[in-house]
Amino acid sequence: MKRPGPLLTLLAGLLLGLFMLSLNATTGTKTASSSYQEKSPAPKSSPAPKSSPAPTRTTAPPSASPSRTPAPTGVYTGRTDDDSSAVAVSLKGGKAIAYFCDGHNIESWLKGDVEDDGSMRLTGEDGAKLTGTVKGRRLGGSADVGGGHYTFTIDKAKKPSGLFRANSQVAGARIEGGWIILPNGKQVGILTRDGKPSAAPAIDPDTGAVTVDGQQLTARPVTP
Amino acid sequence: MSVDPNAATQSFPPPQPAQRPPGPARYLVPALVAAAVAVALGVYGKVHDPAGTAFNIAGFSSTGAVKSWLATTAFFFALVQLVSAFMVYGKLPGPRWAGKLHRWSGRIAFLVAVPVAVHCLYALGYQTYETRVMWHSALGCFFFGAFSAKMLLLRSQRLPGWLLPLVGGLVFTVLTLLWLTSALWFFRTFGVTT
Repeated sequence: MKRPGPLLTLLAGLLLGLFMLSLNATTGTKTASSSYQEKSPAPKSSPAPKSSPAPTRTTAPPSASPSRTPAPTGVYTGRTDDDSSAVAVSLKGGKAIAYFCDGHNIESWLKGDVEDDGSMRLTGEDGAKLTGTVKGRRLGGSADVGGGHYTFTIDKAKKPSGLFRANSQVAGARIEGGWIILPNGKQVGILTRDGKPSAAPAIDPDTGAVTVDGQQLTARPVTP
Repeated sequence: MSVDPNAATQSFPPPQPAQRPPGPARYLVPALVAAAVAVALGVYGKVHDPAGTAFNIAGFSSTGAVKSWLATTAFFFALVQLVSAFMVYGKLPGPRWAGKLHRWSGRIAFLVAVPVAVHCLYALGYQTYETRVMWHSALGCFFFGAFSAKMLLLRSQRLPGWLLPLVGGLVFTVLTLLWLTSALWFFRTFGVTT
């Protein structure tokens, strides 16, 4: 007597798994219509990042057209996978500048070049590193900042989401501020006064206006 | 006196029994399938770009919470598995439906664990950046391999008596470790949230 039960159990699990996988692949989340991509193994035909994808695009995984397009441009924002920190990467002309910030005391500005295949290796002060790859409207990678290792997958930002920075002198103190406005409109930022970090006051997402210690500053969008 | 020329004699070697156990294939097939499953999951998790996110279930604050509760459910049924297995083997007093309880609690535990694994592999991938994460990734792939082996072994007869309890115990142990390295960690880090 061969018992069919165990086989049916395995089969049910397999079907459930495939079902959920297809659900994941087809539904996607929020802006990401093309979140799912299988890497093809042999010829590295990683789908080239689109410089300006039409916002209404809702179908067709990008792996269909592995054509080279110019270096990716734009700002990508989002949270780390562990939800502890925010990451923003601004790309332009083959260069990238990134800001990693937990909103309290860990922050890092990083910069570097973007390769033709959309990958980048950015470096910052105190050995901070960030590696990532642009795939269409997503940028995935990992960052080593302040002794921690973080992985992230962030989406291309739409207004008001973005990356902002301000440098100024207020009452004799050197002020440096970095802000990431996340896709949901929340702000994560750090303001350092003469090198001492603290949570940053909110900026006006439209104008970048922010009041620091009674003085009005303007945070500007960051481009490399 | 006529002699039946076809009559079996004592000195002649007896014919091979028709129902002979099919040799090492009984062990080899489950072992190979287990290895294939584990490796396939690991390779998928490593090669596929982690999507970062996947759909969430309404009512939960994060996918981490969903997974932690699903994993905890699976772990609970795994405990039922352990107890009911002792009942089936007569090591504990149990009702007559202990076998049924064992089968169905196992099925539920497995089916509840599948979505967790799908999310892990789809959204996070096979990662090694931390000891906890490394063990969780490796054991997660191993678990589904070992479980497949257990299911396939159930279909064989005349197994050595110790084999099923051993493999079952292995599956239970690995699931426990998976739970410790994921859900328990999540609850300790983020609090027992839904």
